[in-house]
Amino acid sequence: MNRNNIKSKFHIVWSMRKWPIKYIHWRLITAYPEGLMYVFKHPFVFVKDVYKYIIWCQEFDKEVNA
Amino acid sequence: MLEVKIRDVVFSSPVIAASGTFGYGNEVQNFVELDKIGCIITKSITIEPRVGNLSPRIHESKSGMINAIGLANIGVDDFCDKKLPELSKINTNFMISVAGSKLSDYIDVVKQIESSNGAHVGYEINISCPNVKEGGAEFGVDKDVTYKLTSKIRELTDKLLVVKLSPNVTCIEEIALAAESAKADAISAVNTFLGISINYKTGKILLSNKFGGVSGPAIKPLALAKIHKIYNNIKIPVIGMGGISSYKDIVEFMRLGSTMVQVGTLNYRDPKLISNFYDQLKNFLKNNNINSISDLVGKYYEN
Repeated sequence: MNRNNIKSKFHIVWSMRKWPIKYIHWRLITAYPEGLMYVFKHPFVFVKDVYKYIIWCQEFDKEVNA
Repeated sequence: MLEVKIRDVVFSSPVIAASGTFGYGNEVQNFVELDKIGCIITKSITIEPRVGNLSPRIHESKSGMINAIGLANIGVDDFCDKKLPELSKINTNFMISVAGSKLSDYIDVVKQIESSNGAHVGYEINISCPNVKEGGAEFGVDKDVTYKLTSKIRELTDKLLVVKLSPNVTCIEEIALAAESAKADAISAVNTFLGISINYKTGKILLSNKFGGVSGPAIKPLALAKIHKIYNNIKIPVIGMGGISSYKDIVEFMRLGSTMVQVGTLNYRDPKLISNFYDQLKNFLKNNNINSISDLVGKYYEN
């Protein structure tokens, strides 16, 4: 993984820092009917999903900015 | 410059946050510049609360995403008690998306919301959700059912009535005509295209519901074709959607017949991005000496 790739992943995560709790909660229950409980029950699946989402954001940005 | 009017309702911008991509609307209230968005459409509300389909119910795919959330929502009682008062304070217009499994569900939801005195400017009737086992898309594939449902709801409200159509039909303009004849104020199109995702190594189908709705830039040319067909066949405004991710996409949709547009999948990337379109569209109009965004509607040339 090159430096730019890591930098862009970090940038995506950093841009989410201002997301309100209410919004994060809505995103969680949209993806998982159990919401936060799902995260506690399946932490590895959740981390994998978040990583997949960040890669999707990178690809999306590339396409939109092309 | 960016103001758009549908019937007697004025929108400050032609850009709408699509249903299901902006929560109920109040989740983003102090975080997104809502005055730069013409309208927010809430998550679809049903008569009873719904948890929706089991996870996994969202899969990020190339150039978009595929989802089968299954109309998860808090139900009309909680919506009227908890969300509607909060929404009535937000700094832009909002419409309420309504869904159901049978005709009476839609009617009961609209009746209950009408009696709650919300500040909403209208309803978007979702007859096109491909991700539920009963109802939803079943209404949107039949012109007679569309006519009956739209006219019944028309009797209940004077607010804007927008009917959201499914692209998963042979002749979308026929369904749009049925909604227009039943006195809908506008048509929004298109909802997601039916799709499926599979892991090529394991053979496992990725969504628990098996099928889902495909959205995002991947569907843009397909959506544009459907919108253009509708525009050429009806007189009421068309609210176009399907893969919009830049102001250039918005201009394309408007040139092919959209009076307003909805932005959906982009909100999953970052809900703040939608408000950037306000200044970008203004600059585009200024740089091209166009007085009003409405001047773009239907302005295209054939090869």
